[in-house]
Amino acid sequence: MTAIATPLGSTLDYDALVIGGGVMGCSTALHLARGGMRVALVDRGALCREASGVNAGTLTLHMTRAALVPYAMRAWQMWMDSDKWLGMGVLATQAPGLTLAFTPGECELLTLRAQARREQGAPIEIISPERARQIEPGLHPGLLMAGYCEIDGYASAYLTGRAMAYALKNAGVDIFENCPAESIDSGDSGHVVHFAGSQAPLRARRIVLAGGVWIENMLAMLGVQIPIKVLINQLVITERTRPVMRSVLSVANGLLSLKQFANGTVLIGGGWQGDGSRDEGGIEARPQNLVGNMRLAAYAVPALVEARVARVWLGLEAETADALPIIGDVPGVANAYVVGSAHSGYTSGPFMGRIMAQHMLGQTPDLPIFNPARLMGMPMPIA
Amino acid sequence: MINPADSSALRKIDLLVMGAGPAGARAALRAKASGLSVVLVDENNDAGGQVWRPLPDGFGRLPGIVAPVEARDGDALRHELRQAGVLCLFGHKVWNVGSNLRTDVISPEGSVSWLPSALLVATGTTERVIPFAGWTAPGVMGLAAATILLKSQNMLPGRRTLVVGCGPLLLAVANGILKAGGEVAAVIDLASRMDWLRTLSALRARPDLLWQGMRWQANLRLAGVPMLYRHGIESVVATQAGFDARVQPVDATGAPVDGAGRVFSVDAVTVGHGLVPGTDVTRLLRARHYYSADIGGWVAESDEMGRTSVPGLFVAGDGAGVAGAAAAGAHGELAALACAHDLGRVSQQNYALERTGLLAQRKQPARFGRAMAGLMALREGAVAAIKPETVVCRCEDVTRAEIDAAAKEGACDLNQLKAWTRCGMGPCQGRTCGDVVGALLALNVGSRESVGYFTGRAPLRPVSLAEVAGQYTYADIPIPKAAPL
Amino acid sequence: MANSFSGADASLRTDRAVRRGPALQFTVDDQPVDAFAGESVAAALFAVGRRELRQSPRDSAPRGMFCMMGSCQECLVWVGQRQVPACQVPVTAGLAVQTLSFRRQHLD
Repeated sequence: MTAIATPLGSTLDYDALVIGGGVMGCSTALHLARGGMRVALVDRGALCREASGVNAGTLTLHMTRAALVPYAMRAWQMWMDSDKWLGMGVLATQAPGLTLAFTPGECELLTLRAQARREQGAPIEIISPERARQIEPGLHPGLLMAGYCEIDGYASAYLTGRAMAYALKNAGVDIFENCPAESIDSGDSGHVVHFAGSQAPLRARRIVLAGGVWIENMLAMLGVQIPIKVLINQLVITERTRPVMRSVLSVANGLLSLKQFANGTVLIGGGWQGDGSRDEGGIEARPQNLVGNMRLAAYAVPALVEARVARVWLGLEAETADALPIIGDVPGVANAYVVGSAHSGYTSGPFMGRIMAQHMLGQTPDLPIFNPARLMGMPMPIA
Repeated sequence: MINPADSSALRKIDLLVMGAGPAGARAALRAKASGLSVVLVDENNDAGGQVWRPLPDGFGRLPGIVAPVEARDGDALRHELRQAGVLCLFGHKVWNVGSNLRTDVISPEGSVSWLPSALLVATGTTERVIPFAGWTAPGVMGLAAATILLKSQNMLPGRRTLVVGCGPLLLAVANGILKAGGEVAAVIDLASRMDWLRTLSALRARPDLLWQGMRWQANLRLAGVPMLYRHGIESVVATQAGFDARVQPVDATGAPVDGAGRVFSVDAVTVGHGLVPGTDVTRLLRARHYYSADIGGWVAESDEMGRTSVPGLFVAGDGAGVAGAAAAGAHGELAALACAHDLGRVSQQNYALERTGLLAQRKQPARFGRAMAGLMALREGAVAAIKPETVVCRCEDVTRAEIDAAAKEGACDLNQLKAWTRCGMGPCQGRTCGDVVGALLALNVGSRESVGYFTGRAPLRPVSLAEVAGQYTYADIPIPKAAPL
Repeated sequence: MANSFSGADASLRTDRAVRRGPALQFTVDDQPVDAFAGESVAAALFAVGRRELRQSPRDSAPRGMFCMMGSCQECLVWVGQRQVPACQVPVTAGLAVQTLSFRRQHLD
């Protein structure tokens, strides 16, 4: 990073440049543009092709961290309305959400987790197995207890890129895909972002680091050290199967996400870890975790056992040292912002982009942002 | 049922060969002879691959009937495998391979994992069919499919069949139908007579095949079967009695040109526009690939002995680039030799000696095979001619119009296109449409290289949750640490 | 919904060079079908003019055997608890096969 001694003057290309075209970056860029700024959005690949395009698309409060429930609730509404404010939908569908407990230990965990989320405003109630089966007839007969929330559902994550691109273009945002940012020169009046490849440098008054797991690398470009943990989540999608479920399912320990889309395919996730890294991406599934995840799914809904697996893939998820988002000013760098790294970031993404933009536009964010400075010097917990 | 995750149940072996066609079977034989421990895995009920398809269990050749050459070659190979005592796992399905080459295999009895020091992928090709109106109708099948019906199931594709497409399979299938007592309405070839004549110099190295080709042509003439060069199939429309198949004249790129079309009334259409190397496994293992239209499309980079960019991963046969069955055997042996060498089981001297011999052995057949492959290369005009309303991705009913719309909107590589259209998300995971969709996207946005290929993922073939999960109780599920509160 | 062609009684089977396995019967959607041991279900059905095996997901267009080598997944049928390509299932005496739509309709 080189400090620029002289002002950039009036040769700024943009009021804001967002680096990273996932849901957080796209939403930030969109809200900034609608707030009147000239905005560019850059990504090393195509929009929403990393975590944002390949996750399970679960829009649940059950598995959202308790402290993020208010954010997730607002984001849930944004997803359900996505075809209105984006102009193109992602098949966001409301469905009842059930968290299941199959052992006494899980019942305790379930009660605890439901309580923590209720305190944050999530309408989660503990229900009996009989009531759970009224909502979801195909559940395993060994179910002991369930948490129920009607504010739940899912979207087809892989549709997100196309919808965001459409909305961004209509909002006048300049999109630069396949432009990896390599370095950032920052000064008092703005920044110059340099790219690998043939893209010429872009100058902007403000930059927003929205790179998900790569926020750590981007912050390093500005000389700021904040560790971001990378989770390599495994996902499984089945072929089209007869209707076997109608709710969004999870298990008390938070390690299953299960839903059946309108087209009959069933998506199995829950954060089982595969192999990979930040630099290499997701490489391959771990066999025991694949087996475990599928067993849990087929246990929860026994009819699933006949479904055929079409594909197994991996998605990266970012997590900070305290597992809360990093949204706000980059410590020590003027006009630099960072938005992202929220556990279950897809769920809350659209809303996180909105509050980031509100902050940058000088408005009061609808809900408090998450000061990045708190993470300076905070050690990453040992796994 | 063995949990694939249970490492104590991993079966260790020097070499696992996927695919028991000419390349794989010969590789397994040589590997065994070199003292390697080897297992040969194939989904089918016996060795032979596509070109030397075995008869179904329970069938037998009639005594006194001289079996065709390939049947004899196939029987001989199967016999040799049994004599040599090669461990063969037939009816077994490989569904996953890990980066350490751990290979997960499903059989009727359950799931087993092998840990080979080396993996040879000899899984051959799949057939390319360039979509046309009506191509998804039952009764329209691939040339390879018709070959399997004729040679293995001993069945005609129909009573009166139209044989369409390009490449050497056209004549083979047409003659197979005649020989079996069926009727061939016509043979429709994208190639010109000149295209065929240009392969003569390569054919000279195989006088037996040249003679066979001429005999086949004579058979068709004798039977009064029209042979239409530089023609392609425009549409197939279902009728009461079967299909009306409309063909049209085309240019060298396969694009329709002005001229009278013809309609044939048939009850079956068999169509194939070339062979595409199967790259499921090499893509899954993230080997480097390159695109070459002349050998069928995307293939894994490999040296002349089949080593890929992934240590321990070898490819041989048509899956490494279409070069024909005759070249495949030597290629498989080269790969087995390389594997034995890399595992330190063959002396430098013997390695050099055998390598020279095998390379020489492969040269002429490969030259012939490449000439045939050239006839089967994808013709872009035929792809460009796909009508907007024609389904291109069969699994997901995605039409050309939808693909073009996505490209126009900015989808610029295959994986992005997949996300936007669902092309390639179905049960076949893009095996059937991938090459054509790549060509379509490239028409819009750039080169095949820039468009890329579908990311390879498990499972290599569909498996049910039951097959992967096996028998278990809740306590058997290895639950990792709970998610943060 | 089976397509039947005029002259469906004239068999597509050709026995000029081979002796087939023993004749047997298996069932498709509870209906008996004559075949020979070892033939693939796809071929055996094709031989009796039963070409449509399922419908495509969006357009509900008729689909059946296409590649015959277990790649395209067009000829899927139910055999017991498994969905499998019919081209990869050898016929055995008494084998019970169900088409996808039959199974869907008859599930309680």
